[in-house]
Amino acid sequence: MTRLGRLGVVLLSVLAVFAIAGPWIAGDPNAQPDPVGASLLLPSHLHWLGTDQLSRDIFARLAAGARISLVVAAIAVSVAAAIGSAFGLAAGAIPGMSGRLLQRLIDLGLALPRIVVLLVVLAAVGRVHYPLLGVILGATGWPAVARLVRGETLRLKHAQYVTAAHALGAPSARVLWREIFPGTLPAVLVASTLGLADAILLEAGLSFIGVGVRPPDASWGGMLYDARDYISSAPWLVFIPCVALVMATSAATLLGDALRRSLQPETR
Amino acid sequence: MLRRTGDAIATALVASVVLVILLHLLPGDPLAAVLGDHPVAPDVEARMRQHWATLPAIFGGLLRGDLGQSIVQNRPVATILAEHLGPTFLLGALTLLIDFTAGLALGVWSALHPDTMRARFVGAVTIVGYALPSFVIGMLLVWVFALKLHWFPPGGVSDVLLSPDASFASRLVDHLWHLALPLAAMVIATLAVPLRQQRSAALATAAQPWVLAARARGISPGLVAWRHCWRPALTPIVTLLGLWFPMLVAGAVFVEVVFQWPGVGLLLAQATADRDVPLVIGGGLLLIIAVQLGSLLADVLYHVVDPAQRHA
Amino acid sequence: MTPLLEVSDLNISFPRDGGVPLVPVDDVSFAVSAGELVALVGESGCGKTLTGLALPRLLPRGAELGPRSAIRFNGTDLSRLPEGALRAYRGRRIAMVFQDPMTSLNPVMRVGQQIGEAIHAHGKVSRNDARARVLALLAEVGIADPSSRIDSYPHQLSGGMRQRVLIAMALAAEPELLIADEPTTALDVTVQAQILELLDRLRAARGMAVLLISHDLGIVAGRADRVLVMYAGRIVESATTEQLFAHPAHPYTRGLFASIPRLDATTTRLTPIRGTVPRPDQWPDGCRFHPRCPVAIPRCLSQRPPLDEVAPQQRAACWVAQGVTA
Repeated sequence: MTRLGRLGVVLLSVLAVFAIAGPWIAGDPNAQPDPVGASLLLPSHLHWLGTDQLSRDIFARLAAGARISLVVAAIAVSVAAAIGSAFGLAAGAIPGMSGRLLQRLIDLGLALPRIVVLLVVLAAVGRVHYPLLGVILGATGWPAVARLVRGETLRLKHAQYVTAAHALGAPSARVLWREIFPGTLPAVLVASTLGLADAILLEAGLSFIGVGVRPPDASWGGMLYDARDYISSAPWLVFIPCVALVMATSAATLLGDALRRSLQPETR
Repeated sequence: MLRRTGDAIATALVASVVLVILLHLLPGDPLAAVLGDHPVAPDVEARMRQHWATLPAIFGGLLRGDLGQSIVQNRPVATILAEHLGPTFLLGALTLLIDFTAGLALGVWSALHPDTMRARFVGAVTIVGYALPSFVIGMLLVWVFALKLHWFPPGGVSDVLLSPDASFASRLVDHLWHLALPLAAMVIATLAVPLRQQRSAALATAAQPWVLAARARGISPGLVAWRHCWRPALTPIVTLLGLWFPMLVAGAVFVEVVFQWPGVGLLLAQATADRDVPLVIGGGLLLIIAVQLGSLLADVLYHVVDPAQRHA
Repeated sequence: MTPLLEVSDLNISFPRDGGVPLVPVDDVSFAVSAGELVALVGESGCGKTLTGLALPRLLPRGAELGPRSAIRFNGTDLSRLPEGALRAYRGRRIAMVFQDPMTSLNPVMRVGQQIGEAIHAHGKVSRNDARARVLALLAEVGIADPSSRIDSYPHQLSGGMRQRVLIAMALAAEPELLIADEPTTALDVTVQAQILELLDRLRAARGMAVLLISHDLGIVAGRADRVLVMYAGRIVESATTEQLFAHPAHPYTRGLFASIPRLDATTTRLTPIRGTVPRPDQWPDGCRFHPRCPVAIPRCLSQRPPLDEVAPQQRAACWVAQGVTA
């Protein structure tokens, strides 16, 4: 793995550790000990990253937000991978009318801008608990995975080892499951890692405009939403979550690129 | 060509249908929450539900230009959208223009002169553009250029204090002044894609034998770059246009919120937060159509740019 | 008569980080006189294309010429000229025709325009005059009905026609030396003969020198005045075509002939040259052909044979051919 890829892994690990251990160390992200006196404090030994306008400890919120943002993204990516793989395999493997129909469905899914669907759904269902948000995100991200998997399926259908399996008399379904499906996994893995970055950003963006993670649950986007009016008086409230976001997305992108280089050397 | 247009229209239609069906499939009553906050007269409510109840009703309405009524604002959705279309179109069109001219030029430039400071700068910009989400870029710009340096206003589309009798020129300048930062944010956020694409396309074309053949004829480097690298590299980029539009749409939503730019994106964000479902759907349909138009535009341009396609 | 082109000690190297540089062309020397057709033959990987590219100084990025390398064209050493001055030579004095007509033509530019480019690059010519010259060139290279083809795009022409267009482009500025790198490889056999015919005719008509680079000994027969055989970055034999075909001196050349089927004799078996062509980073010491040579002697393993005369009008870089026995 390249140096940059390793950097990505390191960053993600740091974030994971932060997400898991942080809330324990830091305490309650929602505690407002002294909204009047202890608000908007600069970093100190008491509050490692300071406090926000409601005297909530920023470090604690950042850690709790890390946990939630990462969980949401992970759920989103898994859901998208599962649904997308299913659709993609089916679209690629089933011949004739049904296969074409499935392809049309995938194309349709791709034609709908993801943000539009998300906003419509969220307008209808309102703020939801964050795991469900993850599912909704995933449910809007499957077309891209499906297109990828379909492409891989089509390519692998003609691979020699698949033809060999058929020649040995293996039934189609079995060939699909045992030979083709594992062949699509590297592409899905790469896409999912890169998709992690997208999911993190989408969740942050949605929370930033007030429709994502439901308060009092903390999330980086939510922290930005809260900090919007304080950008001139307390800019660190805005930039600390930004740094976290950038770290997380860069890590996922670096790792994804590195994975692509090692698992899919043919894609330059 | 005609077939392609038909395709685009069909896709837009079907996508819209899917969107509405999706709405009906969701559990619960989508309108309940917003009606709770903004109650309306029972007959108005009944008409509203009727409008979205069946497909014929929806498309009949669409053809009449009726997209329903916004619950929060108690005004026709179509009117509200029309008001907000201008700013978004302006922002989007200019971003498109800059991305696909500067982006292409920079991409080719950095491909023809690799290992130079400029190429590295371009590389850095692409990474930054990729890594930073549009709203972070927006907030950074606001902080640095508006709040710290006071070079530009932090938001809005015009100065509220500007008198309505002010000259056209000063109003224009005021608008441009307000446009600068949101535009910058959009460009930085979306430039990376055409730039990277063009850079790899230009790298690929620069390596093509016909470039070497042109140099062998003694043609000046500038002409070689333009005629033999730039133009052939345009072809794959044009297809990118179709994929770039959805990105533009997403970027627009977040940037408009950061800068309080009164466009469709900001409208959509607010409407979603308010759970004003008719307005969100109306805005959503508009964006779906925009994306399809973009894709169609890309196909038309592709036809123009690639002679092989023209005779195919 | 002083040769038009005199290449001496041409040495092309590619530095590699942390290691010995790659030297795909090693001290190559030869000369071409006006009106001559010299063939440079060798298998792929022997460095012939790089040699050709070196002459108009079109080597790929990273390539370096050795300090003693000299490319004298009409007396001027091209290896010492700056880029700006070289452009005056390219197309106008030295022209090149490349291997693959499909990719050597810009797909989004009309062929007439591409040929015209070369004309405009080397002098102020009016649009109408240039167009007239392009039409004349198209006719000269044997394209029927030039006026209907002049505005075509490359993909609208057949492979043979494209190659003719490439040749027309190369001739547009009236060069004195034409370097043709595998001009027929991408074409089928009947068209190959036509193209070679054309090159020969043009050479005679314009008094142009031609350096024909190819891996195919067959196309060289009957057309080239002299042949240079290249192996592993070095010229191993240089002779007139008659001499070479009648009495090949170098074991490699002989091996090449033995592996070509002949129509005039019954061959029961083709004898390939045993072994494979070495890679530039794995070149053997001494005579580079020695691992595959059927007559190698101990000296061949350690000492590089010079390209010396072994018969009138024939030089071979081979100890055995030069009469050395140990």
